[in-house]
Amino acid sequence: MKKYDLIIVGGGMAGLRAAIEAVKQNLHVAVISKVHPLRSHSVAASGGLNAVIPQKDIKKKNIDSIEKHFQDSMKCGYNASDPDALQTLVSRAPGKIKELERWGCLFSREKDNSIAVRTMGAASFPRTVYSSDKTGHAIMNTLYGQCIRLRQNKPDLLRFYDEWFVHKLLVYNNVVSGVIALEIATGKMEVFTAKAVIWASGGSGKVFGNTSNPLTNSGWGLAVPLYAGAPLRDMEFIQFHPTQLSRSHVLITEAARGEGAILLNRKGERFLESYSDSKDKKELSARDIVSRNIQREILAGRGVDASCVYLDLRGLGSRKIKKQLPGVRELCKTYANLDPIRQKIPVTPGQHYIIGGISTNEKTQTEIEGFFAAGECACAGVHGTNRMGGNSLMETLVFGEISAQSAGSYIRQKHHRLPNKLFFENAYAEEKNKLQILLKTNGEVKPAEIRAKMNNAMDEFAGIYRDGMGLVEAGQIIKELKTTYMTNMLVQGKDARANYGLIEAIELKGSLDIADIIIQCALKRKESIGVHFRNDFPITKGRPRYSLVKVKKGKIKIRHIAIHIRNKPLIALFSDLRLLKK
Amino acid sequence: MKEKTYKLSVFRFDPFVDTKHRFINYKVPGSKAKTVLDALLFIRDHIDGTLAFRASCTQGRCGSCAMHINGKYGLACETPLRAGKTTIRPLAQLPIIKDLMVDMERFWEKYESIKPYLVRHSGEARQSYTNRKEMDSMIDCILCGACFSACMMTGMNPDFHGPAAYVTLNRFLRDERDAIHDQRMELVTGENGVFRCHSMYNCNDACPKNVKPSENILEIKKNIV
Repeated sequence: MKKYDLIIVGGGMAGLRAAIEAVKQNLHVAVISKVHPLRSHSVAASGGLNAVIPQKDIKKKNIDSIEKHFQDSMKCGYNASDPDALQTLVSRAPGKIKELERWGCLFSREKDNSIAVRTMGAASFPRTVYSSDKTGHAIMNTLYGQCIRLRQNKPDLLRFYDEWFVHKLLVYNNVVSGVIALEIATGKMEVFTAKAVIWASGGSGKVFGNTSNPLTNSGWGLAVPLYAGAPLRDMEFIQFHPTQLSRSHVLITEAARGEGAILLNRKGERFLESYSDSKDKKELSARDIVSRNIQREILAGRGVDASCVYLDLRGLGSRKIKKQLPGVRELCKTYANLDPIRQKIPVTPGQHYIIGGISTNEKTQTEIEGFFAAGECACAGVHGTNRMGGNSLMETLVFGEISAQSAGSYIRQKHHRLPNKLFFENAYAEEKNKLQILLKTNGEVKPAEIRAKMNNAMDEFAGIYRDGMGLVEAGQIIKELKTTYMTNMLVQGKDARANYGLIEAIELKGSLDIADIIIQCALKRKESIGVHFRNDFPITKGRPRYSLVKVKKGKIKIRHIAIHIRNKPLIALFSDLRLLKK
Repeated sequence: MKEKTYKLSVFRFDPFVDTKHRFINYKVPGSKAKTVLDALLFIRDHIDGTLAFRASCTQGRCGSCAMHINGKYGLACETPLRAGKTTIRPLAQLPIIKDLMVDMERFWEKYESIKPYLVRHSGEARQSYTNRKEMDSMIDCILCGACFSACMMTGMNPDFHGPAAYVTLNRFLRDERDAIHDQRMELVTGENGVFRCHSMYNCNDACPKNVKPSENILEIKKNIV
């Protein structure tokens, strides 16, 4: 049994930012991650992160401000964002950029040495800070460097458990008490006790087949807290990124359009101009609109082949592409064998980001005491029903830091008594037993076959356009797959040591449960708003409501709750924030 | 018409069971795989679930799947399958955990030992445009470990930092904001330091991201002299 004050699950951007703050709070902390932190998918983030940075020409009438960042995000999310959470995000964002600067992050710069910014979709000003098109990589190296520095200076406070797979979240009387994790290389299971746990497991896109998410984003990260009793919020809201490289599911960043790339149909028309919702901002409309209209264009038979349209960067010129979008060029060369300087890129929309997640408030608290969540796996309602590009990287930093502050004050405030030894022993025995059962399965169906069927069902019925009949059918397919999983699965390898096949089989249960929840939530929301579009209910109904999922006795229960809108006018919301000056 | 298949010969070794490694042949249908990683995933999914290897992003960004493919180091996810047999070995110089999965601890330890973080002069001086531009060529390293495995010196001398660590070191030596320039230099001038490199350029050949560690090492050497 290993004992810590705080356990952080996940070593991506939110997890590392939380770790830095936790050490600052003088907590004895362990970061448990299924891959080495620098292999987390945060490193693949390209476009940048949104913050209102000091404005150069403050005499100009029309300059960017934190209010405008707030309003853009709110509008992009169809007024369904939680105002407190969103206010926290936009008002803390500038400080996060300053902090990264101080830690040496290599942002791209203008000739006058100031930090460069670009425009992303749905933004009224250029406010996306970036490092060419490898922003995630630059930030992750900076954050991990800071963690190494802290570890070298205070070796007893911070410990990393790389390639440990968290199997269970331990909760006793609605108070968190630790996790059980499996060391992948050795197959050894261990109990970690903690006064508080921060969950930062990232995305869950691999429940879909057509996704730019990594192999690791299986959905297990949302399933574990759900099994422990933490409700999930807004799970029907799945963001589809407009431009994935056709066939290989590699993401072409929105920054490409931010820098001036355009979208063309087979006839070479800039088709976004012909749709009423995208005719003004065209390629820089909100992501849901661009994705939907690409899909419409394809369905109308004006796509390049049956599944894609062209993204055209040729107008940018070779110099700009090499300087601002070198990563895009590399990816195109490797995965499509083309050079965007001279050729158009075939692109198609694909699953990108799960807007929903573990339900939290703006302090990252959940319904379980001592359990906090931050980053993509969490949902404080920041993004409403449609996320603005560049807000999620900022979300990981802002709420990563807050989660450790919240955990710190929770740990200090309360007298903590861990449950007795028997509780941990029983939990350990139970998990060990589950593992043994999986290792002994001797059915006929391989986990990969179940996963492929689930992926197909999700792509076909829970994608950009949905309808009741399709969703019911998808639900039926998932139900059957769950039965197959329980009764007729085959896990190869009878040893837990370095057994990735086993890990995938464990995670598949989570994937199926999360897929089911996405379907049920989509079915229950009989309206269209943001990224959720129902062909059979194309209109938005009344005031925005969020959905909350709980699992009780194996049954999924979904409630819709009205989002509280503060009556105070926006200006008053920001009365405490002085406009940033140079 | 018969479907095209790819042939792979994959290194298998379980140190707890086997006394010697072996190569096992697999056939992967052409419609299921374009890259070496696709093929390995197909094998794990449909032929042998016990094949151990790391993989995550599948798009050449995370550095998990560096291995030795047909006589050359590279990322499995970026290497297209080709006709004829593809032979796959794990990274060299590092202990094998199982099959293609190696223990990267020594690699990370060396990387961390060069202090891969900025220690600033007091004050909030910001980086200049020109200084930032100089770094463009050295920040693409994804720490996959290919250069570390290809390097002759890391094999002969366990204390040698290795190419990847030196790339990162050079990035910080070049950073005008860094305050511990001298300390960093001291770290690598010792007998196991940067002069152990005999400029064989194996690291340059191995790097899947075209970072050119040799050039960085040369620059550090010049800096010292």
